[in-house]
Amino acid sequence: MKSIFKAIFTLILALSLFVLLNTKLGSVPPIAKFLDPFHGFWKNAECKKRPGTEKLQLDELRGKVEIQFDEQMIPHIFAENNHDLYYAQGYITAKDRLWQLDFQTRFAGGRLSEVIGPKAIHIDSYQRRMGMVYGAENTLLEMEKDPEIKEIMHAYTAGINAYIHSLKPEDYPIEFKILDYQPEDWKPINSALLLKLMSATLTADSDQFYMSNALSKYGADAVKELFPDYPFREDPIIPKGTKWNFKALETPKQPLIASGKSVCNQPTKQIEEGIGSNNWALAGTKTASGYPMLANDPHLDLTLPSIWYQIQMASNDVNAYGVSIPGAPGIVIGFNRNVAWGVTNVGANVMDWYRIKFKDNSQREYWYNNKWNPLKPRIEEIAVRGGKTILDTVYYTHHGPIVYLNSQKPKELAKCYNIPAGHALRWIAHDPSNDIRTFYMLNRAKNYTDYREALSHYTAPAQNFIFASIDNDIAITSSGYLPLKWNDQGKFLLDGSDPANDWHGRIPADQNPTVKNPPRNFVSSANQRPTDATYPYYLNWDFATYERAHRINTRLSVMTHANVDSLRSLQNDNYSFLAADILPTLLSVVDVKTLNDTESKGIELLRKWNRCFDADAIAASIFEIWQKDIGVKTWSDKFDDPNILMRYPSRDKLVELLLKEPNSKWFDNSRTSQKETRDDVIRAAYKFAIDSLERKYGAMSDDWKWGNVKHTHVPHLAQITGFGSKFLNNGGSKSSVNATSEKNGPSWRMIVALGKVVKAYGVFPGGESGNPGSFYYDDMVDTWSNGKLNELVYLQSKDEKSERIISKWELSKE
Amino acid sequence: MLFLLVIITCLILQFFLPWWIVGVVAFLFASWVAKSGLQAFGSSFLALFILWVLMGLIHSVPNNHLLANRVGQMFMLPEQNFNWAILLLGTGLIGGLAAGFSGLAGFYCRQIFNKRR
Repeated sequence: MKSIFKAIFTLILALSLFVLLNTKLGSVPPIAKFLDPFHGFWKNAECKKRPGTEKLQLDELRGKVEIQFDEQMIPHIFAENNHDLYYAQGYITAKDRLWQLDFQTRFAGGRLSEVIGPKAIHIDSYQRRMGMVYGAENTLLEMEKDPEIKEIMHAYTAGINAYIHSLKPEDYPIEFKILDYQPEDWKPINSALLLKLMSATLTADSDQFYMSNALSKYGADAVKELFPDYPFREDPIIPKGTKWNFKALETPKQPLIASGKSVCNQPTKQIEEGIGSNNWALAGTKTASGYPMLANDPHLDLTLPSIWYQIQMASNDVNAYGVSIPGAPGIVIGFNRNVAWGVTNVGANVMDWYRIKFKDNSQREYWYNNKWNPLKPRIEEIAVRGGKTILDTVYYTHHGPIVYLNSQKPKELAKCYNIPAGHALRWIAHDPSNDIRTFYMLNRAKNYTDYREALSHYTAPAQNFIFASIDNDIAITSSGYLPLKWNDQGKFLLDGSDPANDWHGRIPADQNPTVKNPPRNFVSSANQRPTDATYPYYLNWDFATYERAHRINTRLSVMTHANVDSLRSLQNDNYSFLAADILPTLLSVVDVKTLNDTESKGIELLRKWNRCFDADAIAASIFEIWQKDIGVKTWSDKFDDPNILMRYPSRDKLVELLLKEPNSKWFDNSRTSQKETRDDVIRAAYKFAIDSLERKYGAMSDDWKWGNVKHTHVPHLAQITGFGSKFLNNGGSKSSVNATSEKNGPSWRMIVALGKVVKAYGVFPGGESGNPGSFYYDDMVDTWSNGKLNELVYLQSKDEKSERIISKWELSKE
Repeated sequence: MLFLLVIITCLILQFFLPWWIVGVVAFLFASWVAKSGLQAFGSSFLALFILWVLMGLIHSVPNNHLLANRVGQMFMLPEQNFNWAILLLGTGLIGGLAAGFSGLAGFYCRQIFNKRR
């Protein structure tokens, strides 16, 4: 009897142990499955080199393809035709970035709950309700109408799937093993979703809701004063005085009552300046070689695996090099023998919110153009791992989806704070578009005409496309679908029942702000206002402040005999015009007699400071906290309202008040009984800056250095601890050309020197491989952090020999 | 004997079959050759401990333990360059325990029939 008991007991013990070790518990992966060195994570540990030639047989290829890998494992694809070229791009992108492809598509399309369970429901629902899938479907239809683009999309898809089908479960990227799921087949809609994700990143930080709230709290005059349509200081992309050589369309009429007010009780989310992209191009007269040069550094929230994937792509009609978005065919930023191009974000207003009046509580009809119109339901199915599938009905007006009704807005999701409930969304990302065509044509462009033709196909997200060609043309164009609007249309929430508030078509593509070969011999952009006040159309009221652009233009205007190092030093320029503009005033206000030792020492450092946010500058740390707190002390009592969400006025406005209006009423803190002035605010903020550094880092020491305080690092895409970069000690600030902050910065730095033989340099904060167990996962991070660039291996043909090519793949049908 | 049978069979089968095959192997061989509960557990445990540690090393050494050190942090270990060793020990332990208890179960199940005879 005892032995039977023992047998049953140990058997149950063993079986339950196996079940336990094979089950995902919370965020812990199935532990034995994960640790098993035959199939688990140990299998993802890669060894360093794979020299030599490998042959691969792939049935769907039409000809022979050769992929050469350089010392950073960057692929250089040589195909005989375009089908094979994009097929190979899909295959190799999947080999290096399969999990990233899967995860970003799931994120964009609201399908994370399928793999990580109920905690992702709110974010999935948000993406669906914002119309991400709806927009991607519209875009896919448009792309499929274009036979060339359809072919490359399908070839790219087939390439990704060929790689997926070659895998056994033990070969899956490690994140699949951690989250315990399998990759699924790629579909062309996924590429469209990723393009929509770019639009979401770059155009969806709308603040109409906050602006309307400020309007209803403070009235039109105060809002006009604090949120002006034109900045105090500016240095527009298109040089001031450039003539517009077109006959402008008539501006639509503004209706009498356009805005509405909304109130909701959620905590305020301060608008964080997220982007800091730069680009510029120099005419040959300004360079040492006599040929144009072009530089670009698009700034984004940094992640590992890297946002971009470097690649050279050559076939019968193209030989281009640059960075691609994993999941989209072609090269987005790059160069070929004849031209180079790059992008920064425009920040035009392409997202508007329309208040909807429903007929009754059933919410089936809405009032528009003096009649009741039906709402179209769209049912979103959100499958949930370990839970029931959710059916989410979204109602569409002719504007677009009503993202949230009052009861639907989840309090837990910070992303949706800026969305006014009961409003319909009109967003460029919902429109059909064929943006891949633009890049397809840029990859093959030979001259300025090709560049302009390529841009005519571009919709969203609107970008400042910079251009340089070997025949000494330089140009920049704020390109994309820019809606035709009355002045300030969309600065506040709009009434959705009046057709006058609709978008009135678009600014014709050939009337988008553009300039070619300006007299100053360079073109540039840094997300600032594209034009001066003479441009006949309204684009937006608020753009990035002028500091970065002004630094770039100041340095470029005096630059002669430019070479790669001069442009590289500008990309890494930490000088801050914000500091230069306001620090003298701030210092003149501080009363040194009232300061303690540390505070006095800080003032001394600030007096000697060269206004550069270098990694070893203590003064930079003090200044940054100081100026930020001046903003908080000035605006917090007015705009941090627990009941009404608003945003702060722009930094430009604060600078104007600091320099011009020391007695402005806005400096008074309404929460105190006495009356504060600018000087009180400046003094209190200085004490706060020193005090907060002391509290966090102890007495003044090396720990106060800006590099340490800023604490730049590159986190993992799914925030998995240990899979991000180490802490990177570097300089930069949001008001410097090198706009590097804690987790945001130049996602790719590129400099192209055109010439008889084009030479190019580049780096991104990561590596080609998406595998945390690869030597090529973060091998470029240090180069990036030190402000250096790698010379890019651009092969003229597949037979060109380069010492830096370390291995090769030969792909063919047989 | 049990040790050799388990380690060699698991080494071969694990290339084709999921990790839980180690349980089946340990159970069967322990029920066949084990002389005592202690031996059934001990030999199976040791076999898998050594097999998994060695296989882990084969993958991790050429990798300079890059991945294992990162995965260690995922499991809440601090950022340090010997996380791989801790993880390897954990891997051996998990494999060993799984095989050990299977072996034990195998031995006791066999005992029922032995007694009856």
